Amino acid sequence: MSTTTEPLAKAYKDEILDKTSWNVSISAVNDGVLVALRKPHPSFYVAWGVALLATIMGAICWGIQITYGLGMAGINSPVYWGVYITNFVFWVGIGHAGTLISAILFLFRAKWRNTVNRSAEAMTIFAVITAGLFPLIHAGRVWKIPLWMAPVVGALPTTNNLWPNLLSPLMWDVFAISTYLTISLLFWYMGLVPDMASIRDRSKGIKRFIYGFLSFGWRGTIKQWWHYEAGYGLLAALATPLVLSVHSVVSWDFAMSIQPGWHTTIFPPYFVAGAILSGIAMVYFLVIPVRYMFRLERFILPDHLEACNKLVLLTSTIVFYAYGIEFFVAWYSGNPYEWGVFVKRAIGPYAFYFWVMVFCNCIFPMIYWFKWARRNILIAMVVNCLVNVGMWFERYNIVVSSLVEDFLPGSWGHYAPSLVEIGITIGSFGWFFFWFFLFCKYFPFISMSELKLIMPKPWSPEKQKEIDAAEQAQVARL
Amino acid sequence: MLDKVIELLIRFGLLPERAVQHGTLVIFDYLDHTCNAIERMRQRADCQDYEVFAPTSYHELEHAAGFGYSPVRWFTLVMALSGTFFGFLICFLYAYDYPLMVGGKTPGLYSLPAYVVIGFEMTILFGGVGTILGMLVFCKIPNPKTPVLDDRLTDDKFGVFLPGKSPESAPVSVLKECGGKEVKGFGQFSTQATKEEEGA
Repeated sequence: MSTTTEPLAKAYKDEILDKTSWNVSISAVNDGVLVALRKPHPSFYVAWGVALLATIMGAICWGIQITYGLGMAGINSPVYWGVYITNFVFWVGIGHAGTLISAILFLFRAKWRNTVNRSAEAMTIFAVITAGLFPLIHAGRVWKIPLWMAPVVGALPTTNNLWPNLLSPLMWDVFAISTYLTISLLFWYMGLVPDMASIRDRSKGIKRFIYGFLSFGWRGTIKQWWHYEAGYGLLAALATPLVLSVHSVVSWDFAMSIQPGWHTTIFPPYFVAGAILSGIAMVYFLVIPVRYMFRLERFILPDHLEACNKLVLLTSTIVFYAYGIEFFVAWYSGNPYEWGVFVKRAIGPYAFYFWVMVFCNCIFPMIYWFKWARRNILIAMVVNCLVNVGMWFERYNIVVSSLVEDFLPGSWGHYAPSLVEIGITIGSFGWFFFWFFLFCKYFPFISMSELKLIMPKPWSPEKQKEIDAAEQAQVARL
Repeated sequence: MLDKVIELLIRFGLLPERAVQHGTLVIFDYLDHTCNAIERMRQRADCQDYEVFAPTSYHELEHAAGFGYSPVRWFTLVMALSGTFFGFLICFLYAYDYPLMVGGKTPGLYSLPAYVVIGFEMTILFGGVGTILGMLVFCKIPNPKTPVLDDRLTDDKFGVFLPGKSPESAPVSVLKECGGKEVKGFGQFSTQATKEEEGA
């Protein structure tokens, strides 16, 4: 082998052959994943309890707001979109990484996604459900909502003489988010069907009946797998433009207005990159504890976790670029209102939020340029947690700092979240984690059928020898 | 207890009766042995209704069975296009039925770009639902009737099921030659004791 072709041989060995060192075979998958479900580490119950307490606290805060009215929240003229809309955008954004991992990386045939896709998809669903709560919370008199929301969109005008304005981005958002939730649920459930058949086949009595019912009587014939794979691919192909469109539509809620700081064409790609950044960081943040609680270290390998951090680094640089170009365009436009908002963001009363956002989203993730940082779980947990803090502040920054000061200095104001708003925000985290942990306990946290696909194939010993010899010959040729 | 409840439900017609399958299941350990078995079965005129079970979707098996493109995609296409139509239709119907003038923008044909978002989302929604429907139809699920033949088939074993063939029949011995480890009779063939066989 000459020195010039050595990198080629190495690339062939690393990339094409994908020699991820699995210590287990496919026979260990169902045993390893399902046995762990029965007896999680005690810390699981502690985490679940904490999440439940936070949810109860959020519910109490919402109860206070319902009882005493929207005045309990800090929103008032000129900032009518405060923490609630910040949370809405934040949680919708968290959901995006789930679809990125399950759909886009599926189309790119990134093998590592098979270990974390199930948790990412579950995260998407619970995050979008959490996001969906916030327009309701924000609407105030929530008991009035059935009057104008309950009939399906198509029936709206005929039932209550309400005429939704389909030219409005807010109406587009209703369509986008509900489509997103539906498609994510279908995608997630579709992946669960073969795994629930696996649980059915190793349980007895009522459990067998329930999981048999949930798995639709899946038998695992190759005909079924053939149609299933085709459907999965098509759904992934549909979900890919969907995930990019949903956060674009969310960003149009802002960008279609004439508010300085919002009215900018960079918003859709900027929002999508930010959403994926926060979502991937959240996936990592969720996978590490659950991997420990359910003893799944054999299946979710350091290589897979490192790949997550590489994506965090990539999207962080995109977000960094977007922050920079946003400032540049504000200056280059020559529009004094636009430029004024941006300068005030950096050095005005909300500068604290701005700099937290810059450091958490752009500076700290730069440590991932180093391999040791990407592979160090403690460092990565801290950085990914900070990324989520930063992304929350980014949304807060966008929503609030533009609204406080518009064209008329006479209507300028100040906004700070009230205790009720902070309580509901913490409650939303509790609510999200509560459902996520519930999911981890009763459904396989790793997609077992897809995990088997990336593990060494169950060739017979003779065939395995043949394959190894062919690979060796190819490496030698290179 | 649960079995009795289910039996009662079946007797009163509230649950569908379990279909009994008659035939022989041969269990394989290895992927390439199963591929060989599929190829051998395809060559036999008397075994065209064979069924193969796999723990996950190995493409080698699909190639061996000679599958092409799945027809699920037609469900996706037709439903997605009807979604596009429906999305634009509701926008235009609203515009026709109650033209809501906001910010000087006339609803209707002039506002077509604004309707692209609704049309797009409906395309994806209908296309996704259509894909799932297509998958359910072609996979023949939900399927409460057909019994589970062996609990290990969703774990790590492969299986080839020959309907209407006894464990002593010629095709079953061909499967054993290919590397079948275990033979199980079902339905009218289950009276013979299940045999443990040492494979090749």
